[in-house]
Amino acid sequence: MEIGSQQRSLQTRPFLREWKRLWSEPLFAIATIILALSIIIFIVAPVFAVLLKSFGIGTGDFTVANYEKFFQTSYYINSLLNSVKAALISTAAVVLLSVVVSLYVTRSQSFVAKTYRGIALLPLVAPPFIFSLSLIILLGRNGVVTQYLNSWFGWEFSIYGFWGVVFAQIIGYFPVGYMLVESTLRTTNTSLEQASQDLGANQWKTIFNITIPLAKSGIIKAGLLVFVMALADFSNPMIIGGGLPFLASDAYLLVVGQQNIEMAAVLGVFLIVPSLLVFIFQTYFLKDTNLETISGESGGNNAPLKGTVKRVITTVTTIFIAFISLMFIMVVLGAFVKIIGINNAFTLEHFSNQTGWDSLYNSIVVSFFGALLAAGLGILQGFLFARKAIPGKKLLEFLTLFGLAVPGTVMGIGYVLIFNGPPFFLTGTVMLLVLNMAFRKIGVGLEAGISKMHQIDTSMEEASQDLGAGPYRTFWSVVLPLLTPAFVAGFVYAFMTAMVSISSVIFLVSPGTNLAATYILNLAEQARIGMASAMSFILIVIVLGCIGLLKILEKKSGVKV
Amino acid sequence: MKKFGINALLIVLAMVIAACGSNNANSSQEPIKVYTHNDSEEMQDLVKGLKEETGIEVDVLRMSSGEAWSRIESESPNFGAEMQWGMLHSFALKAEQNDFLESYHSPTWEDVPDNFKDPDGKWYGWSYWFNLLAINTDILESKGLDKPESWEDLLDPQYEGEIVLPDPGTSGTAFLFVSTIMQIMGEEEGWKYLEKLDQNVAQYTKSGSAPAQMVAQGEYAIGITWDQAVFDRVEEGYPVEAVFPTEGVGYDLDVIWMFKDAENQDQVKEIIDYIGSENGMEEASKHRSMVTKPGFVGTVENIDQYLIDYDAVWAAENRERVMEEWRTKFSN
Repeated sequence: MEIGSQQRSLQTRPFLREWKRLWSEPLFAIATIILALSIIIFIVAPVFAVLLKSFGIGTGDFTVANYEKFFQTSYYINSLLNSVKAALISTAAVVLLSVVVSLYVTRSQSFVAKTYRGIALLPLVAPPFIFSLSLIILLGRNGVVTQYLNSWFGWEFSIYGFWGVVFAQIIGYFPVGYMLVESTLRTTNTSLEQASQDLGANQWKTIFNITIPLAKSGIIKAGLLVFVMALADFSNPMIIGGGLPFLASDAYLLVVGQQNIEMAAVLGVFLIVPSLLVFIFQTYFLKDTNLETISGESGGNNAPLKGTVKRVITTVTTIFIAFISLMFIMVVLGAFVKIIGINNAFTLEHFSNQTGWDSLYNSIVVSFFGALLAAGLGILQGFLFARKAIPGKKLLEFLTLFGLAVPGTVMGIGYVLIFNGPPFFLTGTVMLLVLNMAFRKIGVGLEAGISKMHQIDTSMEEASQDLGAGPYRTFWSVVLPLLTPAFVAGFVYAFMTAMVSISSVIFLVSPGTNLAATYILNLAEQARIGMASAMSFILIVIVLGCIGLLKILEKKSGVKV
Repeated sequence: MKKFGINALLIVLAMVIAACGSNNANSSQEPIKVYTHNDSEEMQDLVKGLKEETGIEVDVLRMSSGEAWSRIESESPNFGAEMQWGMLHSFALKAEQNDFLESYHSPTWEDVPDNFKDPDGKWYGWSYWFNLLAINTDILESKGLDKPESWEDLLDPQYEGEIVLPDPGTSGTAFLFVSTIMQIMGEEEGWKYLEKLDQNVAQYTKSGSAPAQMVAQGEYAIGITWDQAVFDRVEEGYPVEAVFPTEGVGYDLDVIWMFKDAENQDQVKEIIDYIGSENGMEEASKHRSMVTKPGFVGTVENIDQYLIDYDAVWAAENRERVMEEWRTKFSN
């Protein structure tokens, strides 16, 4: 998710000389080549396959007929417009709320602030479409809240459709925006704020003229990220969209309902282009943020909020945090009662679902190995890229990080195109799911690795070499232990996101390799809200449990993750 | 050194998980891979019955029938499953045409009438099902709506925004409805009907069972769905009523088959035998309005009076054309 890496000085050495130097340590050279090949096969090729397919290449001659059809069909245009509109509104709301909540959390040391922070991040551990389910439970045409509004005021409304999707997106993607904005606000230089206030500016003025401009890059980055994620949102429109067309879900339905991969590819291209633009913009124009600031070092104490400012910010934050909590409470209640809002008798029957448990087990295995590979390979790559002369390094790094930005739906379609026949025949295997997860998240490991390598002074490695250790021994005994925290951080993040990700793997599951998130979506499609809530509840508990375990490890070992 | 601790722990964990995985696979034989369009809950019971009776384990992937069919088509000739347990009759006919199926003559199916099974043993009809309306009586009352009695009634403007229909692109239930309308009214009139109905439809769902569930939960007044989805909700105590439209309903045989070149053919055959056996049909009859084996009564009796003379062959032959037209009409 943390796209954007530090730009390093351009390599000017001629390609051949670099190539020769690389081979002076053959093991590293081989590792590099394997990495490069994997990135080409598992990230670049699928995206290219989608691109080619949209122009009819592969099954016929080059044609733009599919694009013509796209622009002539009002249905597809609507789907593009709906996606863009929803993404814009969700982004605006997420950014605004992120700033408000971040201001509250970073300017208060209380227990409440810490709790709020935890709740604000909670949506990360749930599949993104869970909030659609909660919204239907709460505000559906016969929702828990709707019933009261109807009987008290005679109000009747339906959450299905555009606004349902927007609300679900705001909650689902809030943590992404929030993490970025909060970390920038946390590291703001407090002396500037103090100076502003000493010079007589009130708190509103200080916030608008000093704090927010200082956090600009974080805010822009958050906005861009949330925008591409919301644009590529696939599951919320499926559940709460009420049949309204959206790009990602339509692309999926075109593939599974009509076998129309060409048209799905065209829709996919409309998803790739904005992601690519945002990604390039972030990587090359927003250089001042990197993973280090994201993980957040606490700066000096920020000036505490006062007066009206405090009241407004506290109120907005509390309402929003309460809303997020309510969404989760609905899922938990939905899991434990017969049918929420209609028959509220306690029951455990939603949990007696063997297929559900099997798919949970699969999810854990797939996410575990996927995250292991993503973090392991990513960090190895980070080391190689930071220390070795590698021809074409910039491009490879770009492509690796792009894996994070490719919309899941596009990646999924690409995998179907490439791995469903010779020479691969990987469809239906757990291996393909693991590879898909791993290479979509490998950028996380790479980012963590590169930023860690930049903190490690080369003198350590030089000392090791001077003492007679070869390059491999140095890597194994000196560098690797230093990289462990980066590995753990990358692993946790990749695991967490893999457990709840859906848009890509939904194309790849098969009997016996079904995953929890796709199974829950399927239940939701059958409107089995009880069973869907129960499985979601277990999924959330497992992910939280894993994070807790790692936090304990972190404390015990003293390694800062 | 402590830092290595985490590494070591992770590696151990990885090995434990890997070991669990392989253990599971070795403890019995590989589970048989099954595609289905049956509801998750029904399938859960059927799978349990199978395991108790034969000890065979199956891994099930549930998809709506349209979704399953496009997957099967794109996977051919390397199918991701070994058998299908629950699918539209018309897709069985198409699958047979495309040579996707393996034949097997099962002894337990001998007393099932010939029109419910393929003469070459490529597919077997285990139950049949039909379209039905799910009506939420509470909503009808509170909104003062009349109870619809026929397909024609659904066009009444009073139902605007109250009808849920599945999408025939993904749902076999919806496709059965569309081709039933075509067969009752003729194609031209049928399209006119569907266009008018579209005005009243609040949303199109991906799954054919979803409308029943949504109506049960009071989200909408009327759902166009299939029989058992409604009966199950009635039994669970929702304010739901089943309405058989007076023009009659189309029905579809629900079939099972073995995919060509299935890996564990012996076990798949055993499963087919089980489904056709007394015990298998007994279990099925708890979940289905009608099962095909003589002597077993499903959950509904005297059903014949409601059924039209549905032509599954027509449906199979015209599916693509009808769906193409559906898309141009309703996806624009």
